[in-house]
Amino acid sequence: MDGIKAALVLFVASLFQLAVLSEYRQFRSASIVLVALLSIALLRGSVFGAIAGFGTGLLLDTATLGTLGVTALLLTVAGFWIGRYGETTARDRFHAPYLSVAVVTVLYAFGLVALQFVLGQPAPAGLVARTLPLALLINLLLTLPVYALIRRLFPPLELGDRVREVRLLG
Amino acid sequence: MGLLVLLSLVLITVSFRSTALDGAQGTAAAVLRPFEVAADRISRPFRDAAGWTRGLIDAKQDSKRLRAENARLRRQVILEESAVQENVQLRNQLHYHGPPRAADFDQVHAVVLTKPLNAIDQSVTIGAGSSDGLRLGSVVVSPTGGLVGTVDRLFSHVAHVTLLTDNQSAVTAMDLTNPTAVGIIQPGGGGSDVLVLDLVSKAKYVAEGDTIVTAGSIGTDKLPSMFPRGIQIGSVTSESSNDVNPFKNIQVKPVVDFSSLQSVIVLVPNK
Repeated sequence: MDGIKAALVLFVASLFQLAVLSEYRQFRSASIVLVALLSIALLRGSVFGAIAGFGTGLLLDTATLGTLGVTALLLTVAGFWIGRYGETTARDRFHAPYLSVAVVTVLYAFGLVALQFVLGQPAPAGLVARTLPLALLINLLLTLPVYALIRRLFPPLELGDRVREVRLLG
Repeated sequence: MGLLVLLSLVLITVSFRSTALDGAQGTAAAVLRPFEVAADRISRPFRDAAGWTRGLIDAKQDSKRLRAENARLRRQVILEESAVQENVQLRNQLHYHGPPRAADFDQVHAVVLTKPLNAIDQSVTIGAGSSDGLRLGSVVVSPTGGLVGTVDRLFSHVAHVTLLTDNQSAVTAMDLTNPTAVGIIQPGGGGSDVLVLDLVSKAKYVAEGDTIVTAGSIGTDKLPSMFPRGIQIGSVTSESSNDVNPFKNIQVKPVVDFSSLQSVIVLVPNK
């Protein structure tokens, strides 16, 4: 059930990104998809986050007719990493979604530059660095409503449902 | 996680190095198209409302400026109409065959489906493909006639268009007022839409406000330009030269607002 809900949420977020946010140059670097994915990954863990990231990335790569796998790779890693953070140290921390979004927004932007560079495509790091502060700000502003909505859709799991390899001591 | 990363790397490799996945990607993109159009239609009233509000603020000062511009353009149109008629007559008398112009192509109108998703990306997808007569390299213009870019990936019902502002774009262009000032239009960098007209000799005269258009094929090159002659690119905003650079520094403001493209026209060869 969580899988279907996540697919629907991320599909709608992707459409919103493609149809609305990409219309405005200043919002172009911001990503509601990234914020929604990280929120889901925080609440549902690393494997769920990685699968959701891969599917969403593939959807965006397909819709924009870009090189297949580029966004999928970045979002898979982002989903897994933040999911892992959610399973371990981020539990019930108020700042966790904001910290996750801030860190991943920066890493995602430069990860994309690095991938473009490896593929021999234009990789203007200076341009990305200039647009990053605004993207960071907008993503952080989006985090408040998006995380609240996703937390309602995906209530935090009980302690017993969380991954088994993580054991709380003390 | 490892499996998904590996799968992503395989997809990148196959997608980047071959066209094996193009069919599947084109079909999937065509499946997504109704959803994108629906999302666009739902969001359009809100965007229009925002645009209308913004327009109200600028309307008063725009009105005065546009009235003056309208009067000037009316006078210019009268002069140019007679020049065009004279031009047609002279061409017919001389049996002159010049480089192809935009009017020599059929036009395919297409909706813009997606816009760039990040600062690096300078491309859009459009809702027309090979089944509509598009070809790789087909020239794309805006409904007002300004140059937008070229088709660089082609699918059955959708196509990927690289914008003029992409770092890899380069178009032979000339000054409409002084056609001997020919150079290459390239993006200015810095993420803005400003273009640079490069390789124009210092001996050529280019003035601020001059219109820059595509030069088309010059001479009898074996590799003719893919751009028809005379498509408007923009107007010169600044022009300077220095002792270091052998060419002029010319900045051009594009006539097309690349961030608000809703539809485009693709020029395809006449049937």
